[in-house]
Amino acid sequence: MIKLKDVQKYFYKGEEREVHALKNINLEIEKGEFSVLTGASGCGKTTLLNAIGVLDQISSGSIELEGKEIAHLNSDEKTKIRLNDMGFVFQAYNLVPVLNVRDNIAFIMRLQGYSEDRIKTRVLEIAQLLEIDNKLDSLPSLLSGGQQQRVAVARAVASKPKIILADEPTANLDSKNSQSLMDMMKELNEKEGVTILFASHDEYVVKSVNRIIKLDDGALV
Amino acid sequence: MFKILINLALKNAFLRASRAILLVIMIGASMGVMVSIEGLYEGMTSNMIDKTIRSDSGDISMFAKEYRLKNDIKYSIKNATDIAKTLDTLESVEAIVTRVKVSGLAQSATKAYPSDLIGVNFEDEQKFGKFSDFIKEGNLSLGKYGCVVGVELAKNLKLKLNSKVVFTSQDANNQIQSKLFRVKAIIHTTNINLDTRAILTNKNRVSLYLGIPETTATQIAIRSKKDNLQEILKKKYKNFDVLSFKDLNPQLTQMKTMTDIFNSITFSIVMFVVFIGVLGVMYVSILDRIREFGIMLALGYEYKYIRLQVMFEALFLGLGGFILGSIIGYLLLLYLNIYGLNLSDFADGMQSFGMSSILYAQIKLSYFTTSLYAILLASILSVFIPLRKIKKLNPVDVIKADA
Repeated sequence: MIKLKDVQKYFYKGEEREVHALKNINLEIEKGEFSVLTGASGCGKTTLLNAIGVLDQISSGSIELEGKEIAHLNSDEKTKIRLNDMGFVFQAYNLVPVLNVRDNIAFIMRLQGYSEDRIKTRVLEIAQLLEIDNKLDSLPSLLSGGQQQRVAVARAVASKPKIILADEPTANLDSKNSQSLMDMMKELNEKEGVTILFASHDEYVVKSVNRIIKLDDGALV
Repeated sequence: MFKILINLALKNAFLRASRAILLVIMIGASMGVMVSIEGLYEGMTSNMIDKTIRSDSGDISMFAKEYRLKNDIKYSIKNATDIAKTLDTLESVEAIVTRVKVSGLAQSATKAYPSDLIGVNFEDEQKFGKFSDFIKEGNLSLGKYGCVVGVELAKNLKLKLNSKVVFTSQDANNQIQSKLFRVKAIIHTTNINLDTRAILTNKNRVSLYLGIPETTATQIAIRSKKDNLQEILKKKYKNFDVLSFKDLNPQLTQMKTMTDIFNSITFSIVMFVVFIGVLGVMYVSILDRIREFGIMLALGYEYKYIRLQVMFEALFLGLGGFILGSIIGYLLLLYLNIYGLNLSDFADGMQSFGMSSILYAQIKLSYFTTSLYAILLASILSVFIPLRKIKKLNPVDVIKADA
């Protein structure tokens, strides 16, 4: 489903290469996988996740999504890929503060132009699965961290993207909430067949996934 | 897409309530005051124009050729009464008067002043321009020797009601004649020529005094809203000067232009203030939410939609200001339209410039529609600088900063 070939990423300061963040990464992620990129802090997990999510430009190599090269598209095309094919869950939830839970979950679907009836049904379905259906009219500021992160997951999964990229989703959660979130994401992976790739060094995450991809100093181990 | 865009814009525009309310009040107050000033200035000039038309020139005036140049009754319209009767049958003519005017010298017991003796038919003048509205003191029961004098002339000659005034001039035979009048009324028309020089009495007495037939007149004044009547009359009466209000009163036309320019300058300044106000608020608002925009870009919300959303936010703020400004402006204009702005303390100075001491505002829909367009334009333009911040934004930087 996703294929990375000889991916290299350098960070520059002025003219000189400062950091060789990703070193010759070759990786394939199959459809329906539930996997994690793990490793010590600063090993390149987030950089690789951002590269796969076409948020960050790679220095060389290629990234293919279902056979289509996506790493070297222009900015607008990358935005469309992110909107239509990918779901994102960030460490800090990043919900739209002025929208209630219902509208936050529906946000991507509305951008994609789904009908309101379809959105309503899907939002309720996913909210029930993630046990936030009693909070649909609340603003994010009134929710706990765990609830906000579940809303972020619901937003990512609602439009049924090809892959969900989750960067340290449990970093701001306590152990109980972390476990609960991972159980729910596993259920989503199994029930909805959605491919999920985490970047995390959280033991709950590492224990929950089916595949562990280890990184060390920007290279796959 | 449009629904979510409008929803986000509306909620974000008033997210920081105190900031948004302050901006709306600033726009509203600026627009309200601007609209009031515009209405007041336009009311002032329109009032002067209206009174000049009613008291003197009409919309069109006819004179014998060379009369205005030589100011001599020798150059008068001989069959003026017949011409007036003919013109009065035209559908486009609303009212018509004939006048006879001669320049001379007015004397009171202590002073003398150059003036004009004007013979009019007061009934016709009432129909023509509601002459009674101009009376400041006294009434039109003139009797045998009564006259009406302009307010500034009365002041210069120290005339009061029932004061005697002697008018001296040449008659039609170039003989010096004098006539004694008693002041029965004092008028204030805001028309400088009338207020500073006019002694008005019945036309038949002036004709008798000058030794000319009663059918003769020096001016035929016409009220008409028909645009091309002047051209028609010019063709029909080639021996006469057929002049419009604008031809006869270039100073008032110029004043109207100056007022329009002044209003435009005021308008531009206020719109610049609106522009700066919205720019400031939108700039701070965007800086506050730069992370949010980065995340939205990361999620697939295209820049063009963010641009539209931010424009709508500015439009909503501008629209809020416009609604408040319309309410403030309308109430101020309504008050100034009914009660006027009383500048009696400066009455002497204003009268000498031909202005009324109470200024009444006009209310026109165009004040509000123009303001609406300008506020919307200023609001939209004001977001382009803040939008550059988002345009340069790389979502991954926001996410990195977040981690």
